[in-house]
Amino acid sequence: MLALEQSASTAQPIATEAVVALDARDEGYSLSVPLDGSAGVVSANTTLGLLRGLSTFEQLWYTYDGTIYTNYAPLTIVNDSPAYAYRGFMLDTARNFFSVSDIKRTLDAMYLVKINTFHWHITDSQSWPIQVVQFPELAQAGAYSTNQSYTPNDIQDVVTYAGERGIDVLVEIDTPGHTAIIGASHPEYVACYLSDWITFAGEPPAGQLRLADASVANFTAAVLAAVAETLPSTMFSTGGDELDTACYAADGPTQMMLNESGRTLFEALDIFTSTTHGALHALGKTAVVWEEMVLEYNTTTLRNDTIVMVWISSDDAAAVVQKGYRIVHAPSNYFYLDCGAGEWIGNDPTGNSWCDPFKTWQESYTFNPLANISSAQVSLVLGGEQLLWTEQSGPENLDSIVWPRAASSAEIFWTGCMTCGIEWFREGSKRLGFNQSGVP
Amino acid sequence: MTRIFLVVATVISAAYALWPLPTDFSTGTAALTLASDFDIDISAIPNPPQDLLDAISRTKGYLQTDQLEALVVDRGASYNQSLQNASSLVSLVLSYDSGVAGEPTSISEEAIDDIDSRVEGYTLTVPEDGSAATIKANSTLGLFRGLTTFGQLWYDLNNTTYTIEAPIAITDSPVFPYRGFMLDTARNYFPVSDILRTLDAMSWVKMTTFHWHMVDSQSFPLEVPEFPELSLNGAYGPSLVYSTNDVQTIVSYANARGIDVLPEIDTPGHTAIIAQAYPEHVACPGATPWATYANEPPAGQLRFANANTTNFTASLISSVSARFPGKYFSTGGDELNTECYAIDESTQADLNTTGKTLEQALDTFTQTVQSVLEDSGKTPVVWEEMVLDFNLTLSNNTIVMVWISSADAAAVADKGFRLVQAPSDYFYLDCGAGGWVGANPSGNSWCDPFKTWQYAYSFDPVANLTDAQAKLVIGGEHLLWTEQSHASNLDSIVWPRAAASAELFWSGPGGNISEALPRLHDVAFRMTQRGVGAIALQPLWCALRPGVCDLTA
Repeated sequence: MLALEQSASTAQPIATEAVVALDARDEGYSLSVPLDGSAGVVSANTTLGLLRGLSTFEQLWYTYDGTIYTNYAPLTIVNDSPAYAYRGFMLDTARNFFSVSDIKRTLDAMYLVKINTFHWHITDSQSWPIQVVQFPELAQAGAYSTNQSYTPNDIQDVVTYAGERGIDVLVEIDTPGHTAIIGASHPEYVACYLSDWITFAGEPPAGQLRLADASVANFTAAVLAAVAETLPSTMFSTGGDELDTACYAADGPTQMMLNESGRTLFEALDIFTSTTHGALHALGKTAVVWEEMVLEYNTTTLRNDTIVMVWISSDDAAAVVQKGYRIVHAPSNYFYLDCGAGEWIGNDPTGNSWCDPFKTWQESYTFNPLANISSAQVSLVLGGEQLLWTEQSGPENLDSIVWPRAASSAEIFWTGCMTCGIEWFREGSKRLGFNQSGVP
Repeated sequence: MTRIFLVVATVISAAYALWPLPTDFSTGTAALTLASDFDIDISAIPNPPQDLLDAISRTKGYLQTDQLEALVVDRGASYNQSLQNASSLVSLVLSYDSGVAGEPTSISEEAIDDIDSRVEGYTLTVPEDGSAATIKANSTLGLFRGLTTFGQLWYDLNNTTYTIEAPIAITDSPVFPYRGFMLDTARNYFPVSDILRTLDAMSWVKMTTFHWHMVDSQSFPLEVPEFPELSLNGAYGPSLVYSTNDVQTIVSYANARGIDVLPEIDTPGHTAIIAQAYPEHVACPGATPWATYANEPPAGQLRFANANTTNFTASLISSVSARFPGKYFSTGGDELNTECYAIDESTQADLNTTGKTLEQALDTFTQTVQSVLEDSGKTPVVWEEMVLDFNLTLSNNTIVMVWISSADAAAVADKGFRLVQAPSDYFYLDCGAGGWVGANPSGNSWCDPFKTWQYAYSFDPVANLTDAQAKLVIGGEHLLWTEQSHASNLDSIVWPRAAASAELFWSGPGGNISEALPRLHDVAFRMTQRGVGAIALQPLWCALRPGVCDLTA
């Protein structure tokens, strides 16, 4: 028998605990498994903690000849609790589509290694799969097909499934860059729509929201709010990476509006951001952005509690933290799972992956979340995530490109032990029982 | 040997997706649907071989179940009007060109023919008026190739199967006869069903050879009844083996799909696992540090200087090769580690006794093993080191696989051997997945970067070869070494990239990469429809817009 003991005065659903603000989240547990066959015990303050204990308990057991057994008893784990509250995995479902069942299978795997945040990069320039009730044209024109879209029910399905597994769903609608697809239904909102991508974008197709236009800002805010209000998470990401300034320089309407208002592009971006973030704040959400919003665009209107994702390089973390923002580590040089699969752009036979080489689990595992972070700033490091950009991935390779590599960061941000090194990953079975759960 | 093709009229937005690109083809712009009572007519073939009948069944099956929507933005919706008015095709007639008399040989028999005498050409016509389509060939294998192409013509819109490119006329035959894929089933095991699925995918792009790297230092999954301990002690587990029945199944399945199985038992290196059954035959088994005695762990190589070991190996090769009907057998011969033998007292003693150098002992070993193959009518295949690194007497007809670098082909050709292009710098599918050896966080893949389909496609099989040397190139293959692969990523790491060499060696080099990509997308999508998990080459947005996501767009 395994006894579960929870100490909170009222037991909340796991899903409720899973979306509590990061600084208040309680995931710790203790676990004992005696050798004499008497009851094992998982005890925790919260049901979320009990869930974490269960996932550990599941990792103890092996099978031989029909017998289920463990070699770990007697086992005593006292107050296992995470070093970092944010431990994530990001999936881009815009470059290529992933069904709800693909996402659920991924959530199951995340649960096994105690990853607690599903960062859902749900739209981008190539497609808009999320059906927004108030703006049906976005998915009608922007999803790859009706079958390759997420209904409001699908979104709730994912959120519920995640919540049950102690996973918070952080949805990102990347703006104002990475929005060419909005031009499929609102061409008037998008600058350099489908124009020369080599000059005007990081990858095809080109197109970015006309951020200097107040009606575009209002539209964007309304869309974000429409989506955010359906989600229980305290966080919502507005993205903000890879703004192509050449695109805006060449855009007549944008230039006209900047001239009229007497603003620079970045000043206009500031206003755009305060509009979109304002809508999120009105819903009680904390905004999440990519590092350029802080490091490159001189944004002055970001609220203090804005969370910043550091992706370009692990080196940039210190700079963001210097400005007083909380960060999530998402560095391409350690945590991008898509690196090293060659160049996907056509007619480029000698092209290579921009972030070559492939980031092995070992390389990720050496990441130090506190490198160049002073002790006073340590509390600003919320955690980190591994990420799958999907220009060259789909359901066929989802499991094998993510697992078990994404377990690397899962351990770094739970165990937080920077001096432990490689041996900790090897110790104890690290096949993690995936095969039994149906995830190879 | 650059390709020549003829395109009379092609609609730019059309989704023609023939792969490999036929030698000569023309298409039109007429819509043609497949009738619900469409059938394949073999009345002109009085004694059709069973495997041809099976292939016809499979083709008809694919026509029903592919249900691939055209790779254009609206997935073909705008063709709807044309399809309403289109003629429908009721019949595809197969026949032999005049000159084929009596009982035709089967696909399986022709698939294992001498590599130089394979006949694979065919012609295919699809009229636009609904009259019968035809496939004609000089061989059953040719008819099969034609059926494969026929299966690539059709798309689906609202349950209508159609093409919008009638009339179609194709004359097609391959430039190189050896068009292969190698799978290493020793570093990690692959269930039989995964191999069969891979053979299906190979047949869809007209590959001719499954190079089966069956065993290696890490495991010996092949059951050899004459030496049961090899798999008993050397397989990863009792169910992680290939029984003689399994081998039979794989070979029949392959042959029926026009694929010859080229088995490889890599010797004398890459044989650490044999020590689990016959320690007396292996030098430096499990020696550490492994990097001194091997290219990867575990260390261990056959004691080829020893007569007993030589006889054992010859006997093993003889037993194994007898169970494969094909004419070719590889004894490997790559990456010999001499340090391993320097520390092996047994080897040193044998060398002293026989008064041979290591190289001379290797020569004796090799000749013994090769003669066993030659005596049973097989042609030996080896890796390039056997020709380039050592002074050995190899049979004249030995085929050499060039792997270390594409630059080595000329040296092999210089020695007069036929060669297969298997260069790591173009065709190794495993490159670019990081270093797999543990406790090495900054280690990288030895052959980084990842070899994209584009890069492989740019390969020239006869680069830097004289005309005479070029004649020695029988073809090439993509390869999957599986230190970091198993069933869960097999499809996505192999397909559609391996199709790049399939076209290179069928159609000849020099193809236009920009023109090829939309066709390769189509291959990948059709494979997925047929249950092979080919990887996404680009965002779907790009796959639906040919050329738009090119560097020069």
